[in-house]
Amino acid sequence: MLEPSATPKLELRNITKWYGPEGTGVLAVDDCSVSVQKGEFVCVVGPSGCGKSTLMTVGAGLEEATHGEILIDGKPAGKPGPRRSVVFQKFALFPSETVAQNIKFGLQMTNVPRDEQERRVQQQLEIMGLTQFRDSYPSQLSGGMQQRVAIARALAMQPEILLMDEPFGALDAQTRTILQEEVQRLSHQMHYTVLFITHSVEEAVYLSDRVIVMSRRPGRIKKEIQLPRDVAWKRGDIEQAAEHPEFIEARREIWALVREEIMAA
Amino acid sequence: MRRIANGNLVLVSAAACVVWIAVWAWITRSGGPVSSLFLPSPGDVVERFGRMWVKPYIGSTLLGHVFSSLSIVLAGWALGGIVGVPLGVAMAWWPRVKWLVFPIFQLIRPVPPLAWIPLTLVWMGIGEPARIFVVFIAALVPWLMNSMQAVGSVDPLLIDAGRTLGASDGKILTRIVCRTALPTLIAGARIALGNAWTTLVAAELLAATAGLGYVALNASRMLDTDVLVVAMLLIGLLGVLLSLLMKLATHVLAPWSLSQQKG
Ligand SMILES: Nc1ncnc2c1ncn2[C@@H]1O[C@H](COP(=O)(O)OP(=O)(O)O)[C@@H](O)[C@H]1O
Ligand SMILES: [Mg+2]
Repeated sequence: MLEPSATPKLELRNITKWYGPEGTGVLAVDDCSVSVQKGEFVCVVGPSGCGKSTLMTVGAGLEEATHGEILIDGKPAGKPGPRRSVVFQKFALFPSETVAQNIKFGLQMTNVPRDEQERRVQQQLEIMGLTQFRDSYPSQLSGGMQQRVAIARALAMQPEILLMDEPFGALDAQTRTILQEEVQRLSHQMHYTVLFITHSVEEAVYLSDRVIVMSRRPGRIKKEIQLPRDVAWKRGDIEQAAEHPEFIEARREIWALVREEIMAA
Repeated sequence: MRRIANGNLVLVSAAACVVWIAVWAWITRSGGPVSSLFLPSPGDVVERFGRMWVKPYIGSTLLGHVFSSLSIVLAGWALGGIVGVPLGVAMAWWPRVKWLVFPIFQLIRPVPPLAWIPLTLVWMGIGEPARIFVVFIAALVPWLMNSMQAVGSVDPLLIDAGRTLGASDGKILTRIVCRTALPTLIAGARIALGNAWTTLVAAELLAATAGLGYVALNASRMLDTDVLVVAMLLIGLLGVLLSLLMKLATHVLAPWSLSQQKG
């Protein structure tokens, strides 16, 4: 079990983000603190436009916070890099590279030895069910397949932290369900440390150990809800999980919080 | 469905060509409405083509003139690319370079390449370097504009993805940005080649000692309309050929930009 006192794997400490000049620009995130312990799956939910993506972009190091710090193991995280892998809502695959080349890209950039590169690419192709698409280009794949490639590309880096920004937001309902279940299974097996952004309350309850609810813009932390960890009902498929009383109760509580924010807008 | 429709289109086009040539033959037949002085018959043109293929005309055979034109076009076009692509990429990638170069470039852009000929004549005379220079100017603009646009329109999200995967700025530029931009770059190369070709022929009409434009100009002075038509047909056909070659380049260099979803 987690010790609450342990240094978080990832900590976003008092993050404030202004787009444009402070005071006159857009205040997207206002003094938000989020920490993720090693092996923990944390979801951030909130109404659309509340600053979730901003929080993640800052957390990944892709944007500078106006105020606040990003820490990994208690030390400043610095530039974006392979310690934090990111999965974007719009896949962000390299169109000129095949599936295998996309997965291999980060390994080449970080000078992973060649045979190790091959091994990891092969492994990810198998895990994500992409072996037959190895030499396809992203434009030849459906959205669901493309997002599998993006996840494979992120996981191949063996990152300490996985950041996912509404990764299933652009997918159709069936594909989304299947990928939710696969991510659930993977994170359970591999104990990834994940910060996962979503606007779906169900997805958050199903996947995470802890849910952070954000207020409408400017995004603030409204409430954190601890969910039961390592319980059997989470390991099955999402439909079964959704029938469990604990799931229903958590969903009701979180949805009420999110609804408040949407209605107040 | 589409395949069949495309096949039909090719057939229709082929049939149309035959009809046009037939019309041409009919109006230029002996005793027909159009005198051979204005427009030679297809037969005359073919015969003239055969003769020019083996016997020199104003200094060299037809192949020699073709070669002269093509080599100048390719030289000017390639020079345009060598200068235009790095400059265009740099302008899109470093705003400072853009501020530095863009004002001059905007000023040069509306000047038709042929308007450079008088100045070029003063600088370099009427030799090959002068023609290469004018062609270079004609090719430079599309080379540069397209590479700037190609790089500028690469999705910033791909750059973010590259950064999170540990790519350095240099690798992001070469491995992500330039590769993603390649199809647009090739499209620019194709426009540049088209411009280069038309400009060269026009330049040869004004100042040259060989080449297809030079042949056409001489033929016109001598009222050799059959030679004139041979030259013009060749100019058109070679233009089409160059354009097709550039299309082929996309298939070879950026096959991914043509692929369709399959699963
Ligand atoms: N690059 C930007 N420049 C200016 N405003 C931005 C930028 N990115 C996001 N915003 C604004 O910040 C707010 C939060 O956006 P975002 O983080 O994308 O929200 P979410 O992901 O929760 O939908 C929105 O009002 C959005 O318009
Ligand atoms: Mg978002």
